[in-house]
Amino acid sequence: MNSTNDLSFSGSEEMNRVRVLFFATLRDDVGQRSLELNLPQNTTLAELEDLLIGRYPRLERMRGLMLAAVNRQYAAPDQVLPKNAEVAFFPPVSGG
Amino acid sequence: MADSYPTSIVLTDGPLDLDLLLAQMTLPTTGAAVIFTGVVRGVTWRGQPHETFHLEYEAYAPMAEEKMRQVAQEIRQRWPEVQGIAIVQRVGRLDVGTPTTVILCTAAHRDSGVFEAARYGIDRLKEIVPVWKKEVGPQGETWVEGHYHPRPGE
Repeated sequence: MNSTNDLSFSGSEEMNRVRVLFFATLRDDVGQRSLELNLPQNTTLAELEDLLIGRYPRLERMRGLMLAAVNRQYAAPDQVLPKNAEVAFFPPVSGG
Repeated sequence: MADSYPTSIVLTDGPLDLDLLLAQMTLPTTGAAVIFTGVVRGVTWRGQPHETFHLEYEAYAPMAEEKMRQVAQEIRQRWPEVQGIAIVQRVGRLDVGTPTTVILCTAAHRDSGVFEAARYGIDRLKEIVPVWKKEVGPQGETWVEGHYHPRPGE
């Protein structure tokens, strides 16, 4: 299930459209695998995480514990999201 | 001739063929192979004893493949004598007794770091490769949680 959301003034060319993916317990918490968001330019990973926790309160328990990847690389909270980024949130991995 | 050493990275919902993997990683100069494979454990005694019916694996596929490739590169940097490296992770439903993952390393001789390389491979896979498993047992379904927090860029 995908959904599109404008979080600020829509239709502006200054917005950055990012794709957000959730895996494992975080997908269960959010209730969907992915969504598309229009974010203000220069939004950081930490700001996106705050925004998502605000919208999906069940994510609160994972604040500071969830891992995040930007364009498939583990990323720092202060990283500014590049244009059309793919941002994934997930719990610490448990494969093998 | 490290450039010509084979590397195989496989993320699959299909079964594994260990004999084929071994043949693919075996060179004319190969004299040793170490194969680690994880298996779905039906009865656990360590920690909280419990029973497991099956596991369900999920992956962030494109990133998982990139990180599996990174694990192989890290093995090559640390143990240059290792020849073939195969890293396999299965996803989907896996029943008790089934192999789930394979780290296979070959070398000319057994004292070339090949044991340590395979051990490093599975430890590292469990740290940075984005795969998760859900245990299904008599108590219902439980996601297994990891502990490792990779550094940015790791």
